[in-house]
Order: sequence, then structure tokens, then C-alpha cells
Amino acid sequence: MPKKVLSDGTEISQPNRAVDRLMKRLHVREVPDEEKPAMAVRWLDYYRKDRRSLTLAMEGCVKCGVCAEQCHAYLGTKDPNNIPAARADLMRRVYKRYFTVQGRLFGKLVGAVEMTMDVLEKWYSYYYQCSECRRCGHVCPFGIDTCEVTMAGREILWALGFVPELQGAASAMVFERGNQGGMTQAAIVDTHEFLTDEMEEERGFRIEFPVDKPNSDILYVPSSADYLLNAETLKGAAQFFEYVGANWTISSYMLEAGNFGLLTDQRSVQRELVRRLWWSVADLGIKKVVFGECGHGWRAWKMYTETLTDYAVAGPGYTYTKVPLVNIHQEVVALLKAGKLKLDPKNNRLAPVGTYVTLHDPCNYVRADQLGDVFRYVLYNSVPAVREMYPIKEKNFCCGGGSAILYDDPEMYNLRIKFFQKKADQVRASGANHICTPCSICKAQFYPMVKEHNLTTEDGKTIMPVNGLIDFLGAALVFKGHRQI
Amino acid sequence: MYFFVGKVLPYITVAILLGGITWRVWRWTIGRIKFNITIPPFPSSWPAAVLWIVWQIVSFWNVFKFDRPLWFGAWPMHVALAAIGGGHVLGVYTLGMQFHLLLPWLVTEHQSEAASNFLGTVFGIIFFVALLYLLYRRLAIEKVRVISATSDYLHLLLLLAIVGIGDYMRLVKTASLHYDEARHFMAGLFTFNPHPLPDNFFFFLHFLFVQIMLLIFPFSKLMHPFGILWNRWIINRPYQQPPMGMPGTKITL
Repeated sequence: MPKKVLSDGTEISQPNRAVDRLMKRLHVREVPDEEKPAMAVRWLDYYRKDRRSLTLAMEGCVKCGVCAEQCHAYLGTKDPNNIPAARADLMRRVYKRYFTVQGRLFGKLVGAVEMTMDVLEKWYSYYYQCSECRRCGHVCPFGIDTCEVTMAGREILWALGFVPELQGAASAMVFERGNQGGMTQAAIVDTHEFLTDEMEEERGFRIEFPVDKPNSDILYVPSSADYLLNAETLKGAAQFFEYVGANWTISSYMLEAGNFGLLTDQRSVQRELVRRLWWSVADLGIKKVVFGECGHGWRAWKMYTETLTDYAVAGPGYTYTKVPLVNIHQEVVALLKAGKLKLDPKNNRLAPVGTYVTLHDPCNYVRADQLGDVFRYVLYNSVPAVREMYPIKEKNFCCGGGSAILYDDPEMYNLRIKFFQKKADQVRASGANHICTPCSICKAQFYPMVKEHNLTTEDGKTIMPVNGLIDFLGAALVFKGHRQI
Repeated sequence: MYFFVGKVLPYITVAILLGGITWRVWRWTIGRIKFNITIPPFPSSWPAAVLWIVWQIVSFWNVFKFDRPLWFGAWPMHVALAAIGGGHVLGVYTLGMQFHLLLPWLVTEHQSEAASNFLGTVFGIIFFVALLYLLYRRLAIEKVRVISATSDYLHLLLLLAIVGIGDYMRLVKTASLHYDEARHFMAGLFTFNPHPLPDNFFFFLHFLFVQIMLLIFPFSKLMHPFGILWNRWIINRPYQQPPMGMPGTKITL
């Protein structure tokens, strides 16, 4: 999309907007331009009364500036509007004008502004440059979670008809097929067969992927991007379940660990996935749900499922079977620590000796659930050598693709390259020649960005490979006399 | 003017301050904490979570870890503020005898007053210098300047005025006001029998500016001591991991 020009002449980059047919399928009504500002204020009023986290983010900031140097988006672009405090200020100024005493009385003096189309256009630009990684929330002395502002901003924009094509298309696919990639059951089964053949070549025996198998104990929910981009992760998970002899299955009705609803529209899209999850659990007799590699997805399931399991599933007169939700890494580590998995790091198909793997901690895994040590426990046991990048764990920087701002149009793609700058510096300084990141969105950002930033191995020509964590685990598992089931 | 500031305004100030804080906090409780959106560390119990919040408040831990230069301005400034706040209450109420009353076998009355004067002066100067640094930082550092509104500077200037006048009264003998005069005046206010303001222009200004600060307190970012509690109440909560171990597997934990 060409740059949007505001009324004062400044140019801003924005993601492509969804076409009319797509919006209709999402039941989003495009509000006419002249009504948008007033409508936005009404939505802001709704969300401030709905979410305490938003009200506190609006009223709690003292503008100390600690967050500025901690945001990869600001470090990469040097755009002052990408300072987390300033990004939140795009909303806070309007909030002050309409909902606070000081803003109504003193206006400009306290930085309050009227809601206009320009403000909304800026929101659409900058709230889709924030990757909701919550590093600013982690460093804020007051604990203001700026991610909540971005989320509310995006939801208001969504309701007004500012729907980005990427998120819109993915969300429409959630309603249609239960996953963002648009995979049908036939496509899923076909991919599985292909992967089974591949594993037979590698291992010498077949590992099947059960699909929609009734009376299964474990539902494995991979990210649908694994079918399109990260086949090794699927293979890794299959090998793990085969190794432990699990009665597991994959549901073609609910094939999405990732959750774009969390990032754009929690009221409808995210709720749809929660409904589909409990549907599958009831349908297949599941006793435990294990989620695959997806950072923001795990945050959505861990933190939001309970509240969003509401009237249609658990309201008065309804009931559902509540089963534990975990992610695959935690289960792997529990077994590893109990000494039940035999791994051979020296004989890893994906990481031959001489490979130095560096681990990129996905933001949502480490800042929504402290899995930094869990990842490391798996990685150090699966690959021959690890070289850490710094900072790590919950202090880690985002890859710049978080919250699925993986736009391909030239303007936003250029920004993506800039957002990756900090990560590229970190990887270079680590001296590694292989990248591991257990998150679908991180992988989707890394694949093109290692090329754009020319992150190469020692020979200076080969582009660094990128893999998930379960990929390495699967390849390092030592099977004896299988098959087990 | 002296009549209004000394006998009427204080009551208006206190009413608006308390009413404003209550109103503001009431607004914060309208919205629900809908989701358990916690941030590391993930304590396993409520006492551990509360301990972490208290630690963040007393040490400014995040500022210390992520912006060391700011910490050297902000932390001493707030410590000095706390010390001076406490000093004003205790020093004026006990006429500078607070240390003698606390440790009568160790500190004589004379030493207590000297210590009170000394600490007041030292913290006053720390407070003033730290505020100057914070103002300089807001003006000089690009990333902080671009996120500042006019009111952010005015808050600092108001505090500088209050502290500056206070320090002047401490350091210049002719401008100073003795504890008992201040106590006499404040006692009048508290017993709803207000006495006229002491005949000291600097005290008049000091007292007026403090009241202006308290008047805008509930309607500005000065509410942040309450904000930190309400914010951290949302994001620092205990979390219990679901038990590990998968059902129906051949290899079990």
C-alpha cells in the first residue's frame, strides 16, 4: 500500500486494508468516514469501562521514558511514535480529552487532543507496528502493559472497519475451517502422509499421524503454519508422541494453536477458537490438550481461555469437560528431567557436530510464562553446542514479527526489516550458525529476515538455517526396536 | 489573601484531595480484571506476589535495572520526598524532638533538634538537586522530550518552587520559621479554629504552592503512587502450573 498522507502532510505506512467481501464474511461493517471519530470515542468509552488494564494504562503513565530504549521497534526505526509511551499516547491524548477532568479543562496543556480521522489513521499505522511483545510492560516501573493499549486500539479499529488484509483473511479462515492457513481435512491428511514417508526414509519405520481419532487421550494442536512452513516441527512432535506411546490425535476442526483473535478481535475471532477447542475436546473424548509451538498462541490459551469460555459453552444451562491445557515443551521437559527420554545430541540430523545453535526466546513464551529455562533444558540436551545471544529469557528482544505483523507490501516489509535490526545484531554477536526459535510467527519472520540481514554461517555465503525446538528434539530422539504402539 | 490561603483554602484543598483520590480510584475499579495477564516473575503464592510489588516500590527495581541514570535521579528524589514528608509531620508535631522521644536514653533534646535540622537541610538539598536533574533530563534527552507534555514540565517546576522555598527558609536565618509557630498554625487548622498565617512571606508562598500541588494531585499523573498499586495488582499475581504428565502414554512420569 502506498504511504498514507495525513492532513498535516506527514506520511505514514499502513498495512493493506481488507476488501469488502472479506469484511462482510467477518461481519464487520465499515463505518462511514465522517462517523468514525465519534464512533471510536464510543468504543473507547466501552473498553475503558470493560478492562481495568486499559484504564490503568491510560491513567498510570508518568512519561519517565524507561521503555524507549527497550522497544525493538523504536530501536530499529527511531520513529518517536514507536516509543511505547508515545504509542500509547496516541490513544491517551484522546482519552484525556474525553474522559478526564484535566483534559477537558486544560486541553493542550496536558496534551489532550480531539479525535479525528488523522488520529485513527495514525492508530492504524502504529498499532500495527507494535508487535505486542510486552517488553515495555516487563520493564515499566509501574507495570503498565502497553500491549493492552495496542490490543484495544486494534479492536476499536476492527470495529470501525480498519481491517488489515492479512489478519482479516486469517480470521475468516478461522470461521470457515478452524485454522488460519485454510487447511482442509484432505490437505492435512495428505501432508501427514508425506511427512510419514519422509520419516520412514530417515528412521526406517513409519510414524502415523492420527487425525480426528475418537477416544483419544491427547489432543495435539499444532500451529497451522507448521503445515505450510515448518514441517520439521510436526515431525518432531509426531516422533515425540510415538516415542512415549501416546494415544494422541490431531483435530481437523481445531487446528490452530495460534490465535489471531487475541491480536485483533477478541470478542469474536478468539471466542470462535475457544469454542472450537471445547467442541473437539468433547467430540474426541480428550483428557489433555497439548499445544504446539506458537508463542502468542500459548499466551492466548493460558491467560484468556478461562474468561472466554463463556455463555455458549459454560453459561447457565450448559456444561463442558474442562481438561488441562499445557504446551509441548513443558511435557517434554518433565519427561526429560525424569530421565524417560533418551536423546543423542551428537547424532542429530538437523544439527550435525560443528553446529552452534542460538536460541531466540519467543516473547510470549518467556513473558507470559517463564519458559526460558524449559527451552534451554530441551535444547542443551538435543544439539551438540549452544551459543547464547544476549539478553535472553524474559529480557529478550522481539524478532519484529510478533502479533503477526508479517506484511508483504513493500512499505510494511521495509519496516519489518528495521524491526529485525536488534535481533540481527544479537544473533551476529552470538557467533552461532543455526537459529532455534520455538514459535510459528518468529519462524515466519526469521525465514526472510536472515536473508535480508545477510545472517550467514562461517563461510560467509550460506544463510543460517532456522528451526523450531521440537524439530531438534525429534531428530535427537533415540528409538530402540520400534514400533511401540 | 492571607486570610483565604491560611483559613479557607486548606479545607477546600483537603476536601478536593480526598474526594478526588476516592473518585479516581473508584473509576479504576469500574473495569474488571478480565484476563490473568501476568508478567514475570510468576510467584506461586500471594505473599510472594505482594513481596515483589513492595520490593518494586521501595527499590525502583525496574528503573535500576533498565535505566540506571534515571534511577540516580528518581530514587533519591522519592526517598528525600518520603523523609521530608515524615519530617514535616514528626518535626512540627514534636517540635524537633522526634529522635529524643524515640530514643530518649541515647539522644538529648538538643541533639534531636540539631539532627532534625541537619536531616531536613540535607534531604531538602538532595530533593532539589534531584528535581533539577529530572528537569534537565526531560529537556535534554530527545526520547524523553518527545513524550513530554507541557504539564510534565509544570509539575516539576511546581515541585522545584515548593522545595526551593523550603530550602531557602532552611538556609537563610531571616527567612526561617520556627517549629512552634508552624505547629501553632497547623494545630488551629486541625482543630477547626484557624489561626492567622505566621507573618512570613516565604511560608505563605510555600504553603500556597503545596496546596496547589495537592489540588491538582488527584487530576494528574501525581496519582502514580496509587497507580503503581492498582497496575501491579493486575500483572503481579500468583500462577500455578497445571500438573505435568500425559494420560494414556506407555512412558509415564
